[in-house]
Amino acid sequence: MSKRVMVVDDSRLVRVQLEDVLKGTDYEVAAYCRSGEEAIEQYGAVKPDLVTMDIIMKGMDGLDAAEIILKSNPDARIVMISSLAYGDTFERAKAIGTRGFVEKPFHQEQLVRVFGEALS
Amino acid sequence: MNSALTKEKLAQILDQALQDVTERTAGVRLHQGEQPLGEDLCTVHITFDKGFSTSLTLCADTSLLARMAGNSFHEETVTAEDLEEFSKEYLNVLCGKVAGAMFQATQVSAHFGTPTFYHGRYEPEGQEAQFVLTYADEHSKGAHLIHHVACPQEDSAAGKEDLG
Repeated sequence: MSKRVMVVDDSRLVRVQLEDVLKGTDYEVAAYCRSGEEAIEQYGAVKPDLVTMDIIMKGMDGLDAAEIILKSNPDARIVMISSLAYGDTFERAKAIGTRGFVEKPFHQEQLVRVFGEALS
Repeated sequence: MNSALTKEKLAQILDQALQDVTERTAGVRLHQGEQPLGEDLCTVHITFDKGFSTSLTLCADTSLLARMAGNSFHEETVTAEDLEEFSKEYLNVLCGKVAGAMFQATQVSAHFGTPTFYHGRYEPEGQEAQFVLTYADEHSKGAHLIHHVACPQEDSAAGKEDLG
Protein backbone atom coordinates (compact mmCIF):
# COMPACT_ATOMS: atom_id res chain seq x y z
CA MET A 1 0.00 0.00 0.00
CA SER A 2 1.33 3.39 -1.00
CA LYS A 3 2.43 5.90 1.59
CA ARG A 4 0.32 9.05 1.42
CA VAL A 5 2.17 12.30 1.03
CA MET A 6 0.75 15.76 1.71
CA VAL A 7 2.60 18.33 -0.38
CA VAL A 8 2.81 21.88 0.98
CA ASP A 9 4.21 24.30 -1.57
CA ASP A 10 2.88 27.44 -3.21
CA SER A 11 4.27 26.37 -6.57
CA ARG A 12 2.21 24.09 -8.81
CA LEU A 13 5.45 23.26 -10.55
CA VAL A 14 6.70 21.47 -7.45
CA ARG A 15 3.52 19.44 -7.32
CA VAL A 16 4.04 18.35 -10.93
CA GLN A 17 7.70 17.54 -10.27
CA LEU A 18 6.84 15.52 -7.15
CA GLU A 19 4.13 13.57 -8.96
CA ASP A 20 6.69 12.82 -11.69
CA VAL A 21 9.44 11.59 -9.45
CA LEU A 22 7.12 9.59 -7.19
CA LYS A 23 5.66 7.62 -10.10
CA GLY A 24 6.57 3.96 -9.69
CA THR A 25 7.59 4.40 -6.06
CA ASP A 26 5.77 3.48 -2.86
CA TYR A 27 4.56 7.06 -2.40
CA GLU A 28 1.56 8.94 -3.77
CA VAL A 29 0.49 12.56 -3.45
CA ALA A 30 -2.65 12.46 -1.30
CA ALA A 31 -3.19 16.17 -0.80
CA TYR A 32 -1.79 19.45 -1.93
CA CYS A 33 -1.72 22.64 0.14
CA ARG A 34 -0.52 25.99 -1.15
CA SER A 35 0.24 27.62 2.20
CA GLY A 36 1.35 26.89 5.73
CA GLU A 37 -2.05 27.93 7.04
CA GLU A 38 -3.81 25.47 4.71
CA ALA A 39 -1.45 22.69 5.78
CA ILE A 40 -2.24 23.24 9.46
CA GLU A 41 -5.95 23.20 8.68
CA GLN A 42 -5.78 20.11 6.46
CA TYR A 43 -3.33 17.94 8.39
CA GLY A 44 -5.90 16.37 10.73
CA ALA A 45 -8.34 15.60 7.93
CA VAL A 46 -5.76 14.16 5.52
CA LYS A 47 -3.72 12.23 8.12
CA PRO A 48 -0.79 11.76 5.72
CA ASP A 49 2.07 9.38 6.32
CA LEU A 50 4.46 12.14 5.33
CA VAL A 51 4.38 15.89 4.71
CA THR A 52 6.70 17.72 2.33
CA MET A 53 7.01 21.37 3.31
CA ASP A 54 8.39 24.31 1.37
CA ILE A 55 9.83 27.20 3.38
CA ILE A 56 9.25 30.43 1.49
CA MET A 57 5.52 30.81 0.90
CA LYS A 58 3.12 33.68 1.03
CA GLY A 59 1.82 34.15 4.56
CA MET A 60 3.17 31.78 7.18
CA ASP A 61 6.48 30.21 6.20
CA GLY A 62 7.01 26.45 6.16
CA LEU A 63 9.18 26.31 9.26
CA ASP A 64 6.50 28.00 11.38
CA ALA A 65 3.82 25.75 9.88
CA ALA A 66 5.91 22.63 10.54
CA GLU A 67 6.48 23.69 14.14
CA ILE A 68 2.74 24.19 14.74
CA ILE A 69 1.83 20.83 13.15
CA LEU A 70 4.51 19.05 15.20
CA LYS A 71 3.34 20.66 18.46
CA SER A 72 -0.14 19.20 18.07
CA ASN A 73 0.97 16.07 16.18
CA PRO A 74 4.35 15.01 17.59
CA ASP A 75 4.38 11.90 15.40
CA ALA A 76 4.03 13.88 12.17
CA ARG A 77 6.77 13.07 9.65
CA ILE A 78 7.72 16.29 7.93
CA VAL A 79 10.42 16.63 5.28
CA MET A 80 11.43 20.13 4.23
CA ILE A 81 11.83 20.59 0.48
CA SER A 82 13.38 23.94 -0.15
CA SER A 83 16.07 25.84 -1.95
CA LEU A 84 17.23 27.17 1.45
CA ALA A 85 19.13 24.04 2.53
CA TYR A 86 21.92 25.66 4.50
CA GLY A 87 22.88 27.62 7.59
CA ASP A 88 20.37 28.72 10.19
CA THR A 89 17.41 27.49 8.13
CA PHE A 90 18.77 23.96 8.08
CA GLU A 91 19.54 24.10 11.82
CA ARG A 92 16.08 25.39 12.71
CA ALA A 93 14.41 22.66 10.67
CA LYS A 94 16.33 20.05 12.65
CA ALA A 95 15.61 21.78 15.97
CA ILE A 96 11.85 21.79 15.53
CA GLY A 97 11.82 18.08 14.76
CA THR A 98 11.45 17.76 11.01
CA ARG A 99 12.72 14.45 9.66
CA GLY A 100 14.76 15.49 6.67
CA PHE A 101 15.73 18.18 4.24
CA VAL A 102 15.73 17.94 0.46
CA GLU A 103 17.28 20.67 -1.62
CA LYS A 104 15.57 21.94 -4.76
CA PRO A 105 15.93 20.97 -7.55
CA PHE A 106 15.45 17.41 -6.30
CA HIS A 107 15.72 14.03 -7.97
CA GLN A 108 13.97 10.73 -7.36
CA GLU A 109 16.75 8.79 -5.70
CA GLN A 110 17.45 11.53 -3.18
CA LEU A 111 13.76 12.06 -2.42
CA VAL A 112 12.94 8.40 -1.88
CA ARG A 113 15.99 7.95 0.34
CA VAL A 114 15.05 10.90 2.57
CA PHE A 115 11.39 9.81 2.68
CA GLY A 116 12.47 6.32 3.75
CA GLU A 117 14.68 7.71 6.49
CA ALA A 118 11.88 10.00 7.69
CA LEU A 119 9.47 7.08 8.03
CA SER A 120 11.90 4.64 9.63
CA MET B 1 31.30 47.51 -1.96
CA ASN B 2 33.24 44.36 -2.48
CA SER B 3 33.06 43.14 1.09
CA ALA B 4 32.29 39.48 0.54
CA LEU B 5 33.46 38.07 -2.77
CA THR B 6 35.04 39.29 -5.92
CA LYS B 7 32.69 40.11 -8.75
CA GLU B 8 34.34 37.35 -10.80
CA LYS B 9 33.71 34.74 -8.11
CA LEU B 10 30.12 35.83 -7.73
CA ALA B 11 29.61 35.73 -11.49
CA GLN B 12 30.99 32.18 -11.49
CA ILE B 13 28.57 31.15 -8.72
CA LEU B 14 25.63 32.68 -10.58
CA ASP B 15 26.63 31.06 -13.86
CA GLN B 16 27.03 27.58 -12.36
CA ALA B 17 23.74 27.87 -10.50
CA LEU B 18 21.85 29.09 -13.56
CA GLN B 19 23.17 26.39 -15.86
CA ASP B 20 22.53 23.64 -13.32
CA VAL B 21 19.03 24.76 -12.34
CA THR B 22 17.98 25.41 -15.94
CA GLU B 23 18.97 21.97 -17.09
CA ARG B 24 17.58 20.13 -14.08
CA THR B 25 14.35 22.10 -13.81
CA ALA B 26 13.49 22.69 -17.45
CA GLY B 27 15.71 20.39 -19.50
CA VAL B 28 17.15 23.35 -21.40
CA ARG B 29 20.83 24.11 -21.90
CA LEU B 30 21.85 27.73 -21.89
CA HIS B 31 25.28 28.94 -22.90
CA GLN B 32 26.86 32.28 -22.17
CA GLY B 33 27.03 34.56 -25.19
CA GLU B 34 26.07 37.99 -26.44
CA GLN B 35 22.46 37.32 -27.30
CA PRO B 36 20.33 40.43 -27.79
CA LEU B 37 16.87 40.08 -26.33
CA GLY B 38 13.79 40.33 -28.51
CA GLU B 39 10.85 42.60 -27.92
CA ASP B 40 8.53 40.14 -26.19
CA LEU B 41 10.10 39.84 -22.76
CA CYS B 42 9.31 38.76 -19.24
CA THR B 43 11.18 39.69 -16.09
CA VAL B 44 11.26 38.00 -12.72
CA HIS B 45 12.90 39.68 -9.78
CA ILE B 46 13.88 38.66 -6.27
CA THR B 47 15.33 40.65 -3.38
CA PHE B 48 17.65 39.34 -0.71
CA ASP B 49 16.22 40.71 2.50
CA LYS B 50 18.59 39.24 5.06
CA GLY B 51 22.33 38.75 5.00
CA PHE B 52 23.00 40.62 1.77
CA SER B 53 21.70 43.85 0.32
CA THR B 54 21.21 42.86 -3.27
CA SER B 55 18.77 41.50 -5.80
CA LEU B 56 18.71 39.30 -8.87
CA THR B 57 16.68 39.95 -11.99
CA LEU B 58 16.13 37.55 -14.84
CA CYS B 59 14.94 39.18 -18.05
CA ALA B 60 14.30 36.73 -20.87
CA ASP B 61 12.58 36.24 -24.18
CA THR B 62 9.05 35.11 -23.40
CA SER B 63 9.37 32.23 -25.86
CA LEU B 64 12.40 30.86 -23.99
CA LEU B 65 10.63 30.97 -20.63
CA ALA B 66 7.53 29.47 -22.24
CA ARG B 67 9.58 26.57 -23.63
CA MET B 68 11.15 25.98 -20.24
CA ALA B 69 7.73 26.15 -18.57
CA GLY B 70 6.25 23.75 -21.11
CA ASN B 71 9.02 21.24 -20.50
CA SER B 72 8.54 21.47 -16.76
CA PHE B 73 4.74 21.18 -16.83
CA HIS B 74 4.78 18.62 -19.69
CA GLU B 75 2.51 20.82 -21.74
CA GLU B 76 2.93 21.87 -25.36
CA THR B 77 1.31 25.22 -24.78
CA VAL B 78 1.48 27.14 -21.56
CA THR B 79 -0.93 29.65 -20.10
CA ALA B 80 0.08 33.04 -18.76
CA GLU B 81 -0.42 31.59 -15.30
CA ASP B 82 1.93 28.66 -16.07
CA LEU B 83 4.55 31.08 -17.37
CA GLU B 84 4.43 33.23 -14.26
CA GLU B 85 4.36 30.27 -11.91
CA PHE B 86 7.29 28.59 -13.61
CA SER B 87 9.37 31.78 -13.79
CA LYS B 88 8.91 32.53 -10.11
CA GLU B 89 9.74 29.02 -8.95
CA TYR B 90 12.72 28.85 -11.31
CA LEU B 91 14.25 32.05 -9.90
CA ASN B 92 13.40 30.93 -6.38
CA VAL B 93 15.35 27.70 -6.84
CA LEU B 94 18.17 29.53 -8.59
CA CYS B 95 18.49 31.95 -5.68
CA GLY B 96 18.55 29.06 -3.25
CA LYS B 97 21.49 27.55 -5.08
CA VAL B 98 23.24 30.92 -5.13
CA ALA B 99 22.58 31.55 -1.45
CA GLY B 100 23.86 28.07 -0.59
CA ALA B 101 27.08 28.68 -2.49
CA MET B 102 27.42 32.09 -0.84
CA PHE B 103 26.99 30.48 2.57
CA GLN B 104 29.76 28.03 1.76
CA ALA B 105 32.01 30.91 0.76
CA THR B 106 31.20 33.47 3.46
CA GLN B 107 29.31 31.67 6.28
CA VAL B 108 26.66 34.39 5.95
CA SER B 109 23.09 33.06 5.83
CA ALA B 110 21.10 34.91 3.22
CA HIS B 111 17.33 35.05 2.98
CA PHE B 112 15.24 36.20 0.08
CA GLY B 113 11.62 37.09 -0.43
CA THR B 114 9.05 35.79 -2.85
CA PRO B 115 9.78 36.55 -6.52
CA THR B 116 7.77 39.06 -8.50
CA PHE B 117 6.92 38.63 -12.17
CA TYR B 118 6.52 41.31 -14.82
CA HIS B 119 5.64 41.32 -18.50
CA GLY B 120 8.32 43.33 -20.28
CA ARG B 121 11.40 44.80 -18.66
CA TYR B 122 11.64 45.75 -15.01
CA GLU B 123 14.31 47.82 -13.28
CA PRO B 124 14.29 47.68 -9.48
CA GLU B 125 14.01 51.10 -7.90
CA GLY B 126 17.00 52.45 -5.98
CA GLN B 127 19.33 49.80 -7.39
CA GLU B 128 21.85 49.68 -10.17
CA ALA B 129 23.08 46.77 -12.25
CA GLN B 130 26.53 45.68 -11.11
CA PHE B 131 26.92 43.13 -13.89
CA VAL B 132 24.87 41.18 -16.40
CA LEU B 133 25.35 37.58 -17.51
CA THR B 134 23.91 36.95 -20.96
CA TYR B 135 22.71 33.58 -22.22
CA ALA B 136 21.25 31.99 -25.30
CA ASP B 137 19.58 28.69 -26.03
CA GLU B 138 19.94 26.62 -29.20
CA HIS B 139 17.09 28.58 -30.81
CA SER B 140 18.93 31.88 -30.28
CA LYS B 141 16.51 33.03 -27.64
CA GLY B 142 18.13 34.98 -24.85
CA ALA B 143 18.12 35.54 -21.13
CA HIS B 144 19.93 38.13 -19.04
CA LEU B 145 20.69 37.50 -15.38
CA ILE B 146 21.33 40.85 -13.73
CA HIS B 147 22.96 41.36 -10.35
CA HIS B 148 21.67 44.55 -8.78
CA VAL B 149 23.14 46.38 -5.83
CA ALA B 150 21.82 49.38 -3.95
CA CYS B 151 22.72 52.75 -5.43
CA PRO B 152 25.39 54.34 -3.19
CA GLN B 153 23.00 56.95 -1.77
CA GLU B 154 20.39 54.23 -1.06
CA ASP B 155 22.78 51.85 0.64
CA SER B 156 22.11 52.71 4.26
CA ALA B 157 21.16 49.25 5.49
CA ALA B 158 23.50 48.52 8.38
CA GLY B 159 24.70 44.99 8.91
CA LYS B 160 24.19 43.89 5.32
CA GLU B 161 26.77 43.10 2.68
CA ASP B 162 26.73 43.28 -1.04
CA LEU B 163 27.17 39.89 -2.63
CA GLY B 164 30.08 40.97 -4.73
